[in-house]
Amino acid sequence: MIDITLEVNGKTKTLSVEPRHLLADVLRQEFGLSGVHIGCAHGACGCCTVHLDETPRLSCLTFAAQCDGSEIRTVESIGGPTAEHALQQAFRSEHGLQCGYCTPGFIMTLMPFIEEMVEQKRLPDDDEIREAMSGNICRCTGYHGIVAAVRKAVNLGLGGGI
Amino acid sequence: MRPASFEYHRATSLEHALELLGEFGENGRPIAGGQSLVPMMNFRLARPGHLVDINRLPLDAIEIAGPVLRIGALTRHIAYFDNPWIARHFPAFLDAVHYIGHPTIRRNGSIGGSISHADPTAELPAISVLYDADIVARSVTGERRIKAQEFFLSAYVTALEPGEMVVAVEFPIPPAASTGSFIELGERSGDFATASIGISLEHGGGKIVRAAMVCCGADLFPMRAPEVEDFLVGKPLVNPSGAEAGCIFAASIDPVDDHIASADYRRGLIAELTHRAIEAACTRALDKS
Repeated sequence: MIDITLEVNGKTKTLSVEPRHLLADVLRQEFGLSGVHIGCAHGACGCCTVHLDETPRLSCLTFAAQCDGSEIRTVESIGGPTAEHALQQAFRSEHGLQCGYCTPGFIMTLMPFIEEMVEQKRLPDDDEIREAMSGNICRCTGYHGIVAAVRKAVNLGLGGGI
Repeated sequence: MRPASFEYHRATSLEHALELLGEFGENGRPIAGGQSLVPMMNFRLARPGHLVDINRLPLDAIEIAGPVLRIGALTRHIAYFDNPWIARHFPAFLDAVHYIGHPTIRRNGSIGGSISHADPTAELPAISVLYDADIVARSVTGERRIKAQEFFLSAYVTALEPGEMVVAVEFPIPPAASTGSFIELGERSGDFATASIGISLEHGGGKIVRAAMVCCGADLFPMRAPEVEDFLVGKPLVNPSGAEAGCIFAASIDPVDDHIASADYRRGLIAELTHRAIEAACTRALDKS
């Protein structure tokens, strides 16, 4: 066992983990963060995406032991319990989700993309949006609703209409 | 699935990492981004007894070192997009980076990891073969350079010895009048390639004076195409006979037949990609002049 200290969603905790424990499992089991979804456990579906030191990272391809001293953000840190963030609301209004299993991964993957677009003050075209989310698989929506949600969230961020 | 048990070691310096890898031999593996190694471990296709975490080592510099561009083993794929040297000297390299996995993989995966993993259709192994790169490997006993063409022995098999680790990849800088391109086709965006072709050309007076071509998908490692390289020398940039080059190459290969694609489909695909990659490289050179 290895002792590690993680700052997860603003709370710091020291715990003992086996080296083989995946960050995804530790976040779910030790931190109770069930929004970290595990789809494929080999880096193909994007469901388990979290932010590790502000960078999107697949938590199924990360050992918790590697993260000692790191800052981790999960979907639970976005928009509060009623999912008030503009991107989350846009997913809701644009039919960006149905079963919801992939949604936390999409949100965590797309957050920095949307922030980057807003910072650059530009609305990305659909191809660019699709490239940004190409590491995430959704089996319900057919992706059109997700693309529309991203467009809407960027638009809102830019202070434009919908 | 979850990985089998192993011991975890965080390297505090390159020397420390090499000592650990030397001690563990075949039972030890360095881990960088883990974007290929951890899936293999999760499937239990890889069961290293010891992982040596090199992520916190300063091995991510991209620098000009005399006649070569030296890329540190921990350089993440995303770093190439805004690197002026890659854009200026290695157009096929820059093209290829767009095909590596997807954004999250590109933020975390490293060149040392991709090269050491040696997936037969991975982009950076192909690019290192295309540009005649040297793989710089180090162990406790010293450092050696291995030509990329001699490094990839088969699918997931490299010339690395137990205890050795890739510390950098060195790309000879092509002359100013050069061009290139890389094209890949897979079943879906970011997935493993069915086939890919990389082209690098030197030119003068509107003609090709030296050519290099690499192909993934025709064999278990990225292979060069010496017949096509010879054929292209002397061809004009305006009409480089790319289709003919594709046919010449396709006739010389014996690709696998599997659930993704039949051998015939692969042969046809490789011929077409060869054609397109040559045309794209030449068009790029003409646009520049």
